[in-house]
Amino acid sequence: MGYPHKAHRKETTVLSKYFGDPEARSYKGWVKRGGYEAWRQALTLAPAAITDLVKESGLRGRGGAGFPTGLKWSFMPKEKKKPHYLCVNADESEPGTFKDREIMRWTPHALLEGTAIAMRAIQAEVGYIYIRGEFTEPYAIMGQALAEANAARAFGDLKIHLHRGAGAYICGEETALMNSIEGKRGNPRIKPPFPAAFGVFGMPTTINNVETLAAVPPILTNGPAWYKKLSLSNPKSTGTKLFSVCGHVQKPGNYELTMGFPLKDLLYELCGGMRPGRTLKACIPGGSSVPILDRAETEACLLDYEGAVERGTMLGSGGVIVFDDSADMVYQIMRLARFYAHESCAQCTQCREGTAWTTKILERILAGQGKATDLDLLLDLSDNMTGKTICVLSDSCAAPVVSGIKKFRGEFEDYIAGRRRPVMVA
Amino acid sequence: MSVSAHPTHDAGTEPYQPVFTGKVLEELQALLGRYPTKQGALLPALWLVQQQRGWISDRNMTEVAAVLGLTPAYVKGVVTFYTMYHQHPVGQNFVQVCTTSPCNICGAEDVVRALLQATGAKELGATSPDGKWTVIEVECLGACGFATPVLINDDFLESVSPEKVPELVQRYR
Amino acid sequence: MADGAVNLTIDGMPVSAPPGTLLIEAAKQAGVLVPHYCYHPGLPVAGLCRMCLVEVEKAPKLQIACATQVAEGMVVHTQSAQAKSARMGVLELLLINHPLDCPICDQAGECELQDFTFQEGRPATRYSPDYAKRFNPVEDFGPDVLYVPNRCILCTRCVRFMEDVTKEPVLNVSERGDRAFIGIHPEARLDHPWAGNVVDLCPVGSLLSKDFLHKARAWELDKTASVCTGCSQGCNVTLDTRDNVVVRVRPRPNLLVNRYFICDHGRMNYRWMNRGDRIEAPLVKRAGAELQAVDWDEALERTAGLLRGAGGRAVTLASPRMSTEALFLMRELCAGLDWTGAVQIVMGEEAPLAGVPNLALRPERAPNGTAAELLGYGRDYAAALQAAESAAVVLVLDEPEVTIRTAGALIYLGTVLPEGARDAAVVLPIANVAEEEGTFVNRDGRVQRYFQAKPAPGMARPAWWVLAELLTALGREGGESLTGPGAAFDRLARSVGPFAGLSYASLGAAGQAITPAIGATA
Repeated sequence: MGYPHKAHRKETTVLSKYFGDPEARSYKGWVKRGGYEAWRQALTLAPAAITDLVKESGLRGRGGAGFPTGLKWSFMPKEKKKPHYLCVNADESEPGTFKDREIMRWTPHALLEGTAIAMRAIQAEVGYIYIRGEFTEPYAIMGQALAEANAARAFGDLKIHLHRGAGAYICGEETALMNSIEGKRGNPRIKPPFPAAFGVFGMPTTINNVETLAAVPPILTNGPAWYKKLSLSNPKSTGTKLFSVCGHVQKPGNYELTMGFPLKDLLYELCGGMRPGRTLKACIPGGSSVPILDRAETEACLLDYEGAVERGTMLGSGGVIVFDDSADMVYQIMRLARFYAHESCAQCTQCREGTAWTTKILERILAGQGKATDLDLLLDLSDNMTGKTICVLSDSCAAPVVSGIKKFRGEFEDYIAGRRRPVMVA
Repeated sequence: MSVSAHPTHDAGTEPYQPVFTGKVLEELQALLGRYPTKQGALLPALWLVQQQRGWISDRNMTEVAAVLGLTPAYVKGVVTFYTMYHQHPVGQNFVQVCTTSPCNICGAEDVVRALLQATGAKELGATSPDGKWTVIEVECLGACGFATPVLINDDFLESVSPEKVPELVQRYR
Repeated sequence: MADGAVNLTIDGMPVSAPPGTLLIEAAKQAGVLVPHYCYHPGLPVAGLCRMCLVEVEKAPKLQIACATQVAEGMVVHTQSAQAKSARMGVLELLLINHPLDCPICDQAGECELQDFTFQEGRPATRYSPDYAKRFNPVEDFGPDVLYVPNRCILCTRCVRFMEDVTKEPVLNVSERGDRAFIGIHPEARLDHPWAGNVVDLCPVGSLLSKDFLHKARAWELDKTASVCTGCSQGCNVTLDTRDNVVVRVRPRPNLLVNRYFICDHGRMNYRWMNRGDRIEAPLVKRAGAELQAVDWDEALERTAGLLRGAGGRAVTLASPRMSTEALFLMRELCAGLDWTGAVQIVMGEEAPLAGVPNLALRPERAPNGTAAELLGYGRDYAAALQAAESAAVVLVLDEPEVTIRTAGALIYLGTVLPEGARDAAVVLPIANVAEEEGTFVNRDGRVQRYFQAKPAPGMARPAWWVLAELLTALGREGGESLTGPGAAFDRLARSVGPFAGLSYASLGAAGQAITPAIGATA
């Protein structure tokens, strides 16, 4: 459901069926709605069997990387020699993305159930749900739900703990998340070693996104074949995805669509199109870390992992940011660069210095002091910042810069040439 | 070269009142049970301090370090990494406004201006003269479809527009 | 090629290394230094400066050499266009906030940022002059260390050293992004006994030693291999001299003794090497008169005479800063006499370096107590002083802290002349550790060579030479063959049991252990 809007008929409401329904939050309410059936089913299956089901369904990580979930689970040691851990990534901080928040505040038990099933599949006794510090409401609701579930001994001996973040986008990176749980600065780790071998507290660990885990119970109750059939374009992208649409549309919100759904239809039909008198200029379909699409590319894009790649971007987190013709692309790209500069953990030289320098150059352009060489400098900097660091925050800063200059070069040149009045002070 | 003495935020002339006593200590002990190492309880412990005192001073950091078997410098390194931990006192109402691009194109900066005006805080990060307000810009709050989201202390408010600001400020005053 | 060794190619050269070797170390075999900052063989890998990115064929991205292990058949290019471009990128980015402090920065001349930038950096920055560079005031971290935040490249070597090698995380990284800096808690000071190493580890002039501040330029320094005289650990050091004055002591790597580190006590233990109040000429007491300066021939002649005439007890009071050769030849000199030898060893607090096994500032504040003991010197200095009172001849090897009273003849070999030795019949000026070549034996029985860093003042000569001359004067066998400290050591190795099998040549620059290895002495 495109909460706060009612579900559009073209939506496929699996995860979002009960968004907006306050009764779904309670343990009793969730059970009444068929909840915890999948968990009971999972208890009859061997861990490896659960993993196989998820593998077969084609479920891929919904946090942004799109890595096959069943495959990730299978990386965990089959023979249990040490404690195993599951970490749930509820750090949702990718600009444009607001779906995990909805899952947690409307259907907390869906997440808990998916978490428990995953823990069984990977043989983990302890799970941490890492919720970003700013999500005060989801934190409270998840706490309440967990208390109720524990009171009902829903998960047996499994221990699920909430861990509150404290303001760091980078903690959404899986290895930084683990460091944060351990009580350290949220610095990403170099890989290898990989989490399944050496994760949180040095133990085998799997990290999964909220939306990914919330999809697990339906996969078990309806069967993987059902999930696989939910695919409109490429069979490698199955199931439904919550697309968080924001920016310049009439009806922003979360829309649950079958994989492969046309982006054009999402924007013009489900979201009610542009504001009166406005035309679509640009769209970032997967959260701010993926390349920007111009209008033609947006209208030709199919919303699945392969479809986005075909358009030269990525599906990412599915945070769809829409810019109409009133948007100042240069300013917004500057604002995104500033976001990355603020969030850089400071380990890698390219990221620490490059994100800040990129921001400064863009600010200077917006202040009317841009130079003709600035665009080439930005592109060279972006190249330096891509593929050379511990994590991809650096690459993520480069993505909007490179795609922005490529597709909206005229706007940059207008500032540099003095054809557009400065909007910032140097 | 000019050499500076260390900036001390907490002058520390009065005797230090520990945070982890009584109920708060009990809460911490419960938290410790969730992690295989004491260090794992660091972020939750810092939240407890901030909940009790409103901010985290250098002396608080020394106390947390002692309780968890860490060094004060280590704790300080963690505190300064996470932007939600306050290292100095803030206004009674701490206001965080998202101005990252998705909210930015929906007028977030106007909301900020309206708030600075209505609260009397005037400048970002400054506390208003009556001590009741501090307003800052933050990065994406994860509610982009509900622009502009505003966090006032622990209250997450959605769809704030400049027109709604005066009534909002009045509600919290 | 050893069994199980991994074969790979680096810059076209075949390299063979044990499994688990890091590329950056394997490259050294091929004579290739991969530029780097955060990597250090004595610290855990961080992989964050990104300077050591190299091209590995078949890998989709550049790989950091400091964290990539060798693999069979791997083909590595450290000088490819991609790798060089990546390094140039890192250097440019490091320099956008790094101030052009070279003219006033201590690190100039031994700065890795200078070196690599000169080697493969951009000739000019593209960072606009419109941007102010960051300005943060210098911070005083503690007893000897200053932190200049503006110059810091955030390699975190200092943080990792304190956290993993001293096990006392007193330094942190504070803040995030380009606002980050190295921090310390206001209530703390960087006063750990091994903290001075962070200054050596810092690749740039961000962490500085107050002791060395603005004292000399790196290119003015002569460097000499030596051994620390601060305690019995025997850390290998380098003495840096400027115009024949020792201005700095730095660790010299020895994986079997001190790895890459020295303690602050040893680091600061060099001012005495530059003392101006040295004895600069041999002195003899002519009948009834004060000590008078004479030439070596006369002084040696007088000394030999005193020794020839001596019957009965001889006592040697030695400083444990004396070389093994000197201690040995002294004993030879007193052969045939009823000899008591003792060393005066001051004791202090132990200060281990927690993260390195068997490394500490030792309670025994003397570099050569072990050799003395092996050569028959005792520890009971007080008893020896007592015995000296009735001895026929007392020979002192440097700097007694006490007054020596004797009925017999006092022969004083020393660097300075304290009041307590003014009754000497003969004073023979000798060189100190910085002014001669010799060996020390550390507490683990490791014999290590030290070399001459500066000339001895005036007419002072090494103690081994003085003693060799005396042996010759007394007509002892082989006296003439003692042409150098090496000859003295080799003679020692032939005649003193524990040293059997060693030779001066075999000691090399890293030393050699006495076998069987002796237990650690106090």
